[in-house]
Amino acid sequence: MTPGLLLLLAVLLGGLYMAWGIGANDVANAMGTSVGSGALTLLGAILLAGILEFSGAVAIGSNVTQTISKGIIDTEMFAPSGPLGERGPLLLGVGMLCSLIGAAVWLHAATHLGLPVSTTHAIVGAVVGIGLVSFGIPGIDWGKLGQIVGSWVVSPLLGGLLAYISFRAIRAYILSAADPVRATVRFAPYIVAGVVAIMVLSFIYKVLRNRVDAPSIAVSVAAALAAGVAAGVLASAVTRNIAPAPGMNPYQYVERVFALLQIATACFVAFAHGANDAANAVGPVAAVVTLYQTGYREVAASVGVPLWVMVLGGAGIVLGLATLGHKVIATVGREITEITPTRGFSAEFGAATTVLLASSLGLPISTTHTLVGAVVGVGMARGIGALNLQIIRNIATSWLATVPVAAGVAALLYMIGRRFLV
Amino acid sequence: MRSFVALFGKSPFGPLAQHAERVQETVGLIPALFESFLTGQRDETRRIYEQISKLEHKADIIKNDIRDHLPKTLLMPVDRGDVLLFLREQDRLADRAEDLGVVLTMRDTPAPESLHPSVRALVAAVLEAAGEWFRVAASLPLLEDASFAGPEVARVMEQIRRISNLEWEADKRQAEAGTALFAHEQQLDPVSVVLWMRIHRVLGSVADHAENTADLLRVMLAKR
Repeated sequence: MTPGLLLLLAVLLGGLYMAWGIGANDVANAMGTSVGSGALTLLGAILLAGILEFSGAVAIGSNVTQTISKGIIDTEMFAPSGPLGERGPLLLGVGMLCSLIGAAVWLHAATHLGLPVSTTHAIVGAVVGIGLVSFGIPGIDWGKLGQIVGSWVVSPLLGGLLAYISFRAIRAYILSAADPVRATVRFAPYIVAGVVAIMVLSFIYKVLRNRVDAPSIAVSVAAALAAGVAAGVLASAVTRNIAPAPGMNPYQYVERVFALLQIATACFVAFAHGANDAANAVGPVAAVVTLYQTGYREVAASVGVPLWVMVLGGAGIVLGLATLGHKVIATVGREITEITPTRGFSAEFGAATTVLLASSLGLPISTTHTLVGAVVGVGMARGIGALNLQIIRNIATSWLATVPVAAGVAALLYMIGRRFLV
Repeated sequence: MRSFVALFGKSPFGPLAQHAERVQETVGLIPALFESFLTGQRDETRRIYEQISKLEHKADIIKNDIRDHLPKTLLMPVDRGDVLLFLREQDRLADRAEDLGVVLTMRDTPAPESLHPSVRALVAAVLEAAGEWFRVAASLPLLEDASFAGPEVARVMEQIRRISNLEWEADKRQAEAGTALFAHEQQLDPVSVVLWMRIHRVLGSVADHAENTADLLRVMLAKR
């Protein structure tokens, strides 16, 4: 058992622990509103979330993983030819382990203190801490970090904007209609077609983009449109068979139909969340795996992310949501009764589209904060009875707290670690 | 996750409809209150007054609960100030019902037969205006479902217009009751005449508050 192997195993365990925490805590983002509005049962939510989080992690997560493992700190500086000499690569491995532990410890403490922290912010903060301790200011790619922090501000705004537009459209075409029931039957298929087309397009584009036999943009778009049309036709057959019960007020009917749409977008969010957040656990792991494969003798020019590493991250998330996630979903579902399927759909659609966009750009964003932004967007469109905007102040505070604290804890662990282990 | 749950505040529209229900219960006792008073069953009048008082207190509890959950940081589909004004005005309906109970029980005021028709007509007109208002208030949650748009809004606006007309009718009945009172003022002592004027005024104000509350809802809906 060489120190190198020991380090690898420790990092794998750390990554699994982190992924487990992500699954337990964040799955409620995707499924909570659906359980709360009654669109899904708790068991259904867990099953769907498990399948989709895993798929998202494996299919799309590699872009964000690379940013975390290589983008924030300039891993070239840990090369044997760099200032740290031959111990450079091993120190990088230790640094990644400490960033995982640092982030996880802060998350655990913050959860105890009841603070709304983001796993993404924690891991980014921790990696920054390592970089600063190693090389000071030049150790960080400040441009990349600036982009990331910028995306933390932009993603809730963009999610909010998309959600606002979605709900305004629903309000204008369906809720304001003289006959909301007929309007729903008429428009729902188009909405379904649109959502499915976007999901399929982003899936094809991301998963198959780097393959040699990647389909051209034209083929991708055509396939997405075809899937959308197929889904739309199916949806129209389904809505025609859901007749309103006698005495049911028309808005209840609209909500019943949108409950199905909300399930679709909840799946979309779960998928997007897996894509973006698995990287929080997997990023440092991928870096150390690559190092191990070179015997800690060199820092690879590019961090390829082996499939089994992504699978590990996805599996950790699924474990987390299966063991603890149900409690969180049940709590969220019970406490949020104000959100109906039409509103839930708009918010989740806005959030999921934003998160997938960020994932394809390699930007690690907070899915929780994006969803908060999306819900506020729906509130601004007069969709929700009461939203407490105090939360925005709390989120800003948690931003200010999480990154420095996670950086500090990780840096401290690293300073201790490199004295003892190397 | 925690931040997500903390985002949702308590929507006031359900509680506002509940408050309206409690207020309706107090106003709904006014006909019985007056019947017992006019037919000389003053013990029954006192009993009904005490019931009104208890119900008014229950309405106040809901009112304060709503106010406790309306921080300035709350984002709602309608203006927070409008909601608070609306609540206060709606609460005044219950307050006036209680005032009537007080006025009718604090003195053994005579109720000559000659006044009965005009008083009963005034009570009926006031209850009709208030009743129309309570029908509107009950549909507040439905308005919220519809996101304050569409045919529901048009329907409610129509009802609000009707309440305006009903309040006008109540005003006319109030004037007629005053005329009837002075036509028979010889049958009453001066203090009783003053009190009867007071009774007419408080009755009329119930319809006024119903109209004012409806107008505040009109303002809320108009600010689209």
